[in-house]
Amino acid sequence: MKNLSELEDLYHGRLKHNLSSLEASRKKILNKFLLSIFGAILSLLVLVLYFTNADEPNAIIPIVIGLFLVFCLGIFIMAFKAKKIYRRQYKTEVVSEVVRAVNPDWNYDPDRKITSSDYRKSDLFRRAYDKYEGDDLISGLIDKTDFECSELHTQYKVVTYDKNGRRKEHWHTIFRGLFFHADFNKLFKGQTYVTPDYAEKIFGKWGQKFQKFSGKGSLVKLENPDFEKTFVVHSTDQIEARYILTPAIMEALLRIKDEYKRPVHFSFIDSRVYCALSFNNKLFEPKIVRSGVKFSDISSMYHLFLLNETIIKELNLNTRIWTKK
Amino acid sequence: MLLLIIIIAMYNGLIRLKNEVDNAFGGMDTQLKKRYDLIPNIVESVKQYVQHEKDLLMKVTELRAQATSGTMSNDEKVVLDNKISASLRGIMVSVENYPDLKANENFLNLERTMNEVESQISAARRAYNATVTDYNNGIETFPRNIIARMMRLWRKEVFVIPEVERENVNVKTLFNN
Repeated sequence: MKNLSELEDLYHGRLKHNLSSLEASRKKILNKFLLSIFGAILSLLVLVLYFTNADEPNAIIPIVIGLFLVFCLGIFIMAFKAKKIYRRQYKTEVVSEVVRAVNPDWNYDPDRKITSSDYRKSDLFRRAYDKYEGDDLISGLIDKTDFECSELHTQYKVVTYDKNGRRKEHWHTIFRGLFFHADFNKLFKGQTYVTPDYAEKIFGKWGQKFQKFSGKGSLVKLENPDFEKTFVVHSTDQIEARYILTPAIMEALLRIKDEYKRPVHFSFIDSRVYCALSFNNKLFEPKIVRSGVKFSDISSMYHLFLLNETIIKELNLNTRIWTKK
Repeated sequence: MLLLIIIIAMYNGLIRLKNEVDNAFGGMDTQLKKRYDLIPNIVESVKQYVQHEKDLLMKVTELRAQATSGTMSNDEKVVLDNKISASLRGIMVSVENYPDLKANENFLNLERTMNEVESQISAARRAYNATVTDYNNGIETFPRNIIARMMRLWRKEVFVIPEVERENVNVKTLFNN
């Protein structure tokens, strides 16, 4: 694994060159998008002005404008296709290089994602989804621990009808961000869930009353006050929850939360650990509106990919001194 | 009428807390029994190899016999369990001096199981402490403390990790007392 200064060397050595060669494509795509949008707006304006001001409307002018609109649409479609190619190049020439910098043995597939059955097995988000999207799957082995991680976005649909009976679809996010699962080093049969503690944060001690009835299984009260303030734990087995969440593991989960400063959910099911780190935006995607030749983009990508290492290291998953080998 | 309902609710609440404590101790007892079951296997596999720790093995066998005699109170069980914990750790430390034993697959499996059981016991103790804290809060806060006194429910002690578990094990001094 490369450290941050080695990553900087890699950036100046090869990645910057790759990014700079992609820069010409990016500018072309941006220009095409701008041209098509600007052209469409302009032609629509002209059309409106023409119809409001022309005393004797002439059929040729709307036809010409219509043809220009089709031309703009054509450019837009071309830009869209070019963006797809640009994205593919970015993933293979830049993102995969960053993954290799973190660990050369990991597999990276920009088009694949964590399977929906693994997502459901995690039981972290119980609301049924209508849309399941994701990409950037990384899988591999860190010492004895196998893992998978990808970006995921799950949404559910709400349909409403206005007073005229018109149907409207609203999409709501269930989870968006990085989803990770790995082999856990201890065997367990029950299910334990560690989720962000919103209720206690808002309602204080009264929130704890609410927590008793929310979540699957029963509420688990643990001894670490910082952990209790940050997370709420539910489990189907009180002893097993503590068998998994040892004082060291509680500290580790807090450190992971502090490292990424994003809402994070964990579940421990079927001797695997699942982790969902929420984000509001798409990750590992090339920028179109601004230049992509920026080390900060690469270093934040690297930091996100490091999540795999961080969880496995912090949770000490390679320590196999128990009955599970 | 309302007062009666409140009293019944408090009574039931306290009984529930008391039962949870008993249940948690039961959970811990199960784990302790697993360890008792493991001791003969450990002694059997270790004694073929070790030369100088025979008395250590005898002591742990004796402690196990006491523990499984079934005539002890919960508090006595706890005290005895601490002794067994310490002596088992003593054996594990002395095993370090016998590379042949450390390489024995059977012993390695036992060691893993032992680690497993120790972790489970530690988790069970923490679960017990959590229910005892809930129970103590229940019987000591007003107005439930009045009902609790009438029900003769008294404060229970949480598990304190004995000093010997926090220190490095000194095998020689362990069995001299």
